[in-house]
Amino acid sequence: MNNSSDTKTLSPVTQATVTVALAVYLVGLVLSIVGNTGSGSSAVVRTIKSRLFSPWMVPPWLDLGFDYRLTYGNDEDGDFSIEVRRQGDGKASPVRLPGRLTGERAARWRRLARSIAVEDTDRDGLLAAAVGRGMFDDVGAEDVTVRVLRTPLVDRGGPPPAPVQASSARVRMVGGELQLIRAEPRGEVAPLVRPDASGDPSDAGAGNAGEATR
Amino acid sequence: MNARTSAAPRAVSPPSSTGGAAAVGDAWNRFWFSATNSRPLALVRIGAAAIALAAWWSYAADLQAWFGPAGVLPADTVREWRSPSGFSLLDWAATPAALNAVFGGTGVVFALLLVGFATPVVAPLAAVLWASLLHRGPILAGPADDCLSILLWCLAIGPAGEHLSLDRWLGNRAGRPVPAAGWRASISQGLLQVHATAIAVGAVLAQLKGDVWWNGLAAWYLATGPRSGAAGLVPLLERSEYLTNLLTHGVTAFEILFAIGLWCGPTQQLVARVGLVGWPLVGLLAGEPLWGLAMALFALPLAVRR
Repeated sequence: MNNSSDTKTLSPVTQATVTVALAVYLVGLVLSIVGNTGSGSSAVVRTIKSRLFSPWMVPPWLDLGFDYRLTYGNDEDGDFSIEVRRQGDGKASPVRLPGRLTGERAARWRRLARSIAVEDTDRDGLLAAAVGRGMFDDVGAEDVTVRVLRTPLVDRGGPPPAPVQASSARVRMVGGELQLIRAEPRGEVAPLVRPDASGDPSDAGAGNAGEATR
Repeated sequence: MNARTSAAPRAVSPPSSTGGAAAVGDAWNRFWFSATNSRPLALVRIGAAAIALAAWWSYAADLQAWFGPAGVLPADTVREWRSPSGFSLLDWAATPAALNAVFGGTGVVFALLLVGFATPVVAPLAAVLWASLLHRGPILAGPADDCLSILLWCLAIGPAGEHLSLDRWLGNRAGRPVPAAGWRASISQGLLQVHATAIAVGAVLAQLKGDVWWNGLAAWYLATGPRSGAAGLVPLLERSEYLTNLLTHGVTAFEILFAIGLWCGPTQQLVARVGLVGWPLVGLLAGEPLWGLAMALFALPLAVRR
């Protein structure tokens, strides 16, 4: 780049070309902000951005929404960490990340943990499987449990909260194939009613509500 | 719009003053094409390169654990995760040695940017390599990484090595004169100003969707967060809800005033100088110190203009 050319009069053609480039970029910048919010975006914005702007704004890492909320005080803003341990071995010490790491390095592990807990569920546990696979050597087994723990935010005047499990998955290698078995959160289920011992179906469940099992 | 740091008469076609469209055109040309001193850009270059080295270093210890052949983020997994348009040079670094080489090369490029050597080549290369590193592990990227990417591209556009650089020192020894003000510095600094506003607006819009930014408790949650550098404030905030509220509303007000004030002539420099202090403090409170520093760099050219 020749710096001395800067001082000369800008030719109308160059000025027009740069103006068009700037205008197109500024439109892309606005669409990136509108199209990358946590609230989602409209179909028209999504379509225009993804077809016309994302192909050249994504590679240079410029397709950014800047929705830096910093905190909403909710569960997703808690402190996330990863814990990997050998499956079925409660005595083995787990690998914890970020553990005692600090600074930006720890922040990157926290982002990975948060992504596993918050975003990975929509992607078939892609990240959990990759993390489990990558930890086989560290744990010394090819059958591990990958847990993400979330320490909730501290409420004003409240005691320091204990970490809770945000997600859990078993990752194992079986016959050269990687398997992921997710521990689904326990939800409400309908009671399973055992038929009355007398065999009268009309009485089924009437007196057995307390015996509902999962 | 205000011309920034103009050090020489504008090198653009003479303005015509008839009609609103002409006025807009004149304002556009003044903002983007005025001959502008590139010295502030050199300061941004030094700051951005320092942040880039810090951010780059945060990958170093875990590089193989994340991106290595047996790492937790294999290239195939990341390709499925990221945008289809995403692209990383590190995808091809299939061995630990190749990964170390590309990563080490990135560090060298950032160091060269810091000292300002071969800047016209090094600055775009730094932007490409940084984007490449982020695309290799988009899950690991945070606000500071985003802002750093913007800063590096702005430096790639403008003549960031004309001052305070090894390039300048070598030029002086060879008897080359200091280049006069030019339009590329104007575009580069204009983009910094536009992005400073865009980022502040994006942050405010996102924050105001959350109750804690309205009920004044956001500062409490930020200060008690795991990364906050304001842990010393927690006892004070615990004692006084008013202080917590003031701090929360202060952050919001600062961001709004910053976004608007950068475009008002009389307040522009004052707001930019407040930004030099304010953004690092917000970053410290939020546990994102590099982000705070990066945001301050966006305001730097306006803060130091004469």
